[in-house]
Amino acid sequence: MAKIGVMSFAHMHALSYAACLNELAGAELAAIWDDDPRRGREQAAAHRTKFVENMDDFLALDMDGVIVASENVKHRAMVEKAAAAGKWILCEKPLAPTVEDCRAMVDACKKAGVGLGTAFPCRYIPSVMAVKEELDKGVYGEIYAASCTNNGQFPGGWFAKRELAGGGATMDHTVHVADLLRWMLNREFTRVYCENGNLLRPGIDVDDVGSLHMEMEGGVIVSHIASWNRAASFPTWGDVTLELIGEKGVVAVDAFNQKLHVYDDAAMKAAWNYWGGNPDLGLIKDFVAAVDEKRDPAATGVDGMKAVEVTVAAYKSASTHRMVPIG
Amino acid sequence: MNLGVIGCNTMGLMHCQMAVNAGLKVVACGDISRDNARKAARKFGAEAVGDCFALCARDDVDVIAVCTPTPTHTDYIKAAAAAGKHIFCEKPLGRTLEKVDGALAAVEKAGVKLYVGHVLRFFQEFEAMKAQVDAGKLGTVGFVKTYRGGIFPGGKLGWFSDWNMSGGVTLDTIVHDMDWVRYVFGDPARIFAQNLKRVFSERIDYALVTMRMKSGVICNIVGTWAHPSGFRVKVDICGDKGMVTFDSSEAPVCAQLRQGAGAGPSTIVPGSPVLVSPYQLEWEDFAAWLAGKGEPRVTPEDGRWGVRMALGALESAEAGQPVEFN
Repeated sequence: MAKIGVMSFAHMHALSYAACLNELAGAELAAIWDDDPRRGREQAAAHRTKFVENMDDFLALDMDGVIVASENVKHRAMVEKAAAAGKWILCEKPLAPTVEDCRAMVDACKKAGVGLGTAFPCRYIPSVMAVKEELDKGVYGEIYAASCTNNGQFPGGWFAKRELAGGGATMDHTVHVADLLRWMLNREFTRVYCENGNLLRPGIDVDDVGSLHMEMEGGVIVSHIASWNRAASFPTWGDVTLELIGEKGVVAVDAFNQKLHVYDDAAMKAAWNYWGGNPDLGLIKDFVAAVDEKRDPAATGVDGMKAVEVTVAAYKSASTHRMVPIG
Repeated sequence: MNLGVIGCNTMGLMHCQMAVNAGLKVVACGDISRDNARKAARKFGAEAVGDCFALCARDDVDVIAVCTPTPTHTDYIKAAAAAGKHIFCEKPLGRTLEKVDGALAAVEKAGVKLYVGHVLRFFQEFEAMKAQVDAGKLGTVGFVKTYRGGIFPGGKLGWFSDWNMSGGVTLDTIVHDMDWVRYVFGDPARIFAQNLKRVFSERIDYALVTMRMKSGVICNIVGTWAHPSGFRVKVDICGDKGMVTFDSSEAPVCAQLRQGAGAGPSTIVPGSPVLVSPYQLEWEDFAAWLAGKGEPRVTPEDGRWGVRMALGALESAEAGQPVEFN
């Protein structure tokens, strides 16, 4: 039985991760720590586990691993502490706002001899997994180009505060797709151009929409939209889409397009109800297996850092209006 | 008004019909293929002409419609202008800015009217989207994404696969979207683009474009001639108070023809019938301008901007850096 703790519920994904830990037979949600004690206590009650107020006490518990789901800028300090305490770690994406922080986290885990994973649940979306399998079999031949989106509704809160998030939509909504493309196409990004800005959600100090153009090894061209452009009245939170243009064919993935159209008079707003497989469950299952097998999770800390390299270069491009090298 | 058409393939025949619907009379059909010219002339009760430059000078022609492959547009415009004829030209206006400027100078000198076929400005779904924007339903717009294309275009002449002639999906197809976003959101400040010219010999093209408008609006435009079948248009327009989306695959008609035994599955063809063709609306707008009633929805300068943006995209793709519009 892998005993796993959760550090911070600042990121709403922690709710789902905690639920997955409770659902999985081989895992136990051992404890919760949060730098916001009220939130931590509430979540501990909701997920039927204990809250530990002091971080050192929490890390001293008989616990094999932790999931870090704090604000982006706090990831590094928490990961370094957890690594020093010998815990296996799964860290929410983006791994950190800067490549320097990512490098320090990867090094700290290596030094401590613990595994580090980045929470990239999109690798566990059924449609994505199916297409990845076809790509590996060569069904589409050589891939020449990709056009992608990760659009979302405005998350608000700390996501829109530079001192806590480290960046805006370009950071929040590029890393998933950057990771998917690296994983699915087995190649690295080389250059990026980006136009972004604060155009849709007034009064915040980060960008809310970014249009990125990337190149990958072998000359693959990529367009990607990273945005919080979905209206509050949009029927769902957002999307992850990829269109891949290959030698032998094209394939388009609209990853969450397994949905019911729900018309609820009480809400007076149409909604899409996703009925497809829960990707978070695959992510947490892999982390639990990594803890048991003493290996890195499938999407490693280095994978998280590679995705951050893309966003950091994208911000550089956006401020210089030049296509810039990545890494 | 009497119309002479130059280029009697798909677009030429369609424009003849739309011009007739808008009240013009087709009197001369020109094509370097006599056969094409004869077929078109028979259909519209006009005279077939093999020498298209001679057609420009005919006394019985008031308006010339140029529906030929892109690189020849500007030569015919110059000939028609020199003969004092008004001109309708299919998009893009020309293959190079030098040629476009030469043609525009000839048009201005002759004092004739030139209309460029940026017909997307008349498509009902695009009009409806513009109406939402203009009515302020979306608040301040910050982001636009368009997607257009499908199968690599055939065409009797096969000229689309000649990069130097067509300019690929960028100059031929998404010039529509570039024109439309400029029409609705103003002039661009700069453009960045990527494309698949490197595999163009395989009859695949795919263009990824981002334009930053002077207003700050970001426009992402994707064009495809890379699909094995079909044609699809998608649009997202996002503002601070709302958004609209359009997807041509959501159509009111969906047809499949039964194939013969053992012939395999048929292609699904979505249909979206409209009461009046946008091409007819375009001709009605041109005809009204010719009759001295109002200003045209598409000006010669708009046509020049279309070429400028598309060529800017091609230049950017070649250089791997953005191109600024000063």
